[in-house]
Amino acid sequence: MLFRVVLSAAAAAAPSLKNAALLGPGVLQATRIFHTGQPSLAPVPPLPEYGGKVRLGLIPEEFFQFLYPKTGVTGPYMLGTGLILYFLSKEIYVITPETITTVSTVGLLVYAIKKYGASVAQFADKLNEQKIARLEEVKQASMKYIQDAIDFEKAQQALVQKRHYLFDVQRNNIAMALEVTYRERLHRVYKEVKNRLDYHISVQNMMRRKEQEHMINWVEKNVVQSISTQQEKETIAKCIQDLKLLAKKAQAQPVM
Amino acid sequence: MNENLFASFATPTLMGLPVVLLIIMFPMLLYPPSNRLITNRLSAIQQWLVKLILKQLMSIHNTKGRTWSLMLISLILFIGSTNLLGLLPHSFTPTTQLSMNLGMAIPLWAGAVIMGFRHKTKSSLAHFLPQGTPIPLIPMLIIIETISLFIQPMALAIRLTANITAGHLLMHLIGGATLALMSISTTTAFITFIILLLLTMLEFAVALIQAYVFTLLVSLYLHDNT
Repeated sequence: MLFRVVLSAAAAAAPSLKNAALLGPGVLQATRIFHTGQPSLAPVPPLPEYGGKVRLGLIPEEFFQFLYPKTGVTGPYMLGTGLILYFLSKEIYVITPETITTVSTVGLLVYAIKKYGASVAQFADKLNEQKIARLEEVKQASMKYIQDAIDFEKAQQALVQKRHYLFDVQRNNIAMALEVTYRERLHRVYKEVKNRLDYHISVQNMMRRKEQEHMINWVEKNVVQSISTQQEKETIAKCIQDLKLLAKKAQAQPVM
Repeated sequence: MNENLFASFATPTLMGLPVVLLIIMFPMLLYPPSNRLITNRLSAIQQWLVKLILKQLMSIHNTKGRTWSLMLISLILFIGSTNLLGLLPHSFTPTTQLSMNLGMAIPLWAGAVIMGFRHKTKSSLAHFLPQGTPIPLIPMLIIIETISLFIQPMALAIRLTANITAGHLLMHLIGGATLALMSISTTTAFITFIILLLLTMLEFAVALIQAYVFTLLVSLYLHDNT
């Protein structure tokens, strides 16, 4: 497992190692380059999704592929078994109490990893997902807020276009109010003028009536005065004769 | 026999070179730093663990005490990982050496106490006398409290050393018993092996618990003195 790390580290460090080999340490310090050009660290290259494949949790797959052309599928296993038996039989590896503790410790570890490995991996993935979700939510909220602000601004602009309606309505209202006041005053003026004219007319009428009455009274008074006593006696005697005649006529008619 | 028992606790040298420094620095490789936001599963779990421990450990401290957060988290991670790595076969556990544990305990304890005496002298001195003691007992109690104060770093170091060493020794002894019994009576050997399994589980727990206890006590000493 660390074998791959060493390979990749060596590959990454190889160019700089070459440079370091050529220059002395002092010169290397002096020619170190700082902060030129674009930031080389961003964006960070993506992490590989799966680790390297291993067999038995320890030995990388490349080793088996390496031995396959010469020894086939069982080659590495035979090598491993042979090595273990060699170490045991020649007592290069001595069986001590440490062996027993090894068996118990490693057995316990393998059991724990097999049992809880998947759930721990899931937990770790969930942690990462939660982190991303939190940041994503902030981003979405910010975008939504800005979008809402834009929409509101657009609506306000549309409203400003329609402002003239408001002013028209107000203008009409004021014109109507002015018109009403004007007509009201006109009517009042008319009424006042009519009032005064009516007064003059009624004064004239009254004067004429008074004059008529006065004239009639004067004429009657003069006529009455002008009737002498003689004429009055003759008129009364004639009236009595006419009445007698009428009475005779009236008596004669109902008998029939 | 005696020599073999304690051979695993000898400072490891490789052809005369002290390799123990490399062994102490090895757990650092297991906590890969990363400049990414979304890391692999290992880093994600480690970040989550550190956050959990940090919240739990530093919630009781005030601002001054929280400046020690990095120190305490490094401490618990170091002791925990060193203890756990020591459970692997044929490995060396640095925390079994009293020298290293004293080197961890004394500076931390001394730092906390001296800081307490410098900044809050009255309150630190007041710790020497618990509340509500009858007056005749005061002189004796002050002596006893002083002794208990100075025992704290010793207790921290020796507790860690003794626990881990005892655990390793017990595992070695019971493994030896199983080995010896295998040729005598397989059933007893099997029973002993079961005991060994249980002990191994305990050792895993102890490894973590001791780390926690160490750090917790340092945190408590800090809390008293800030």
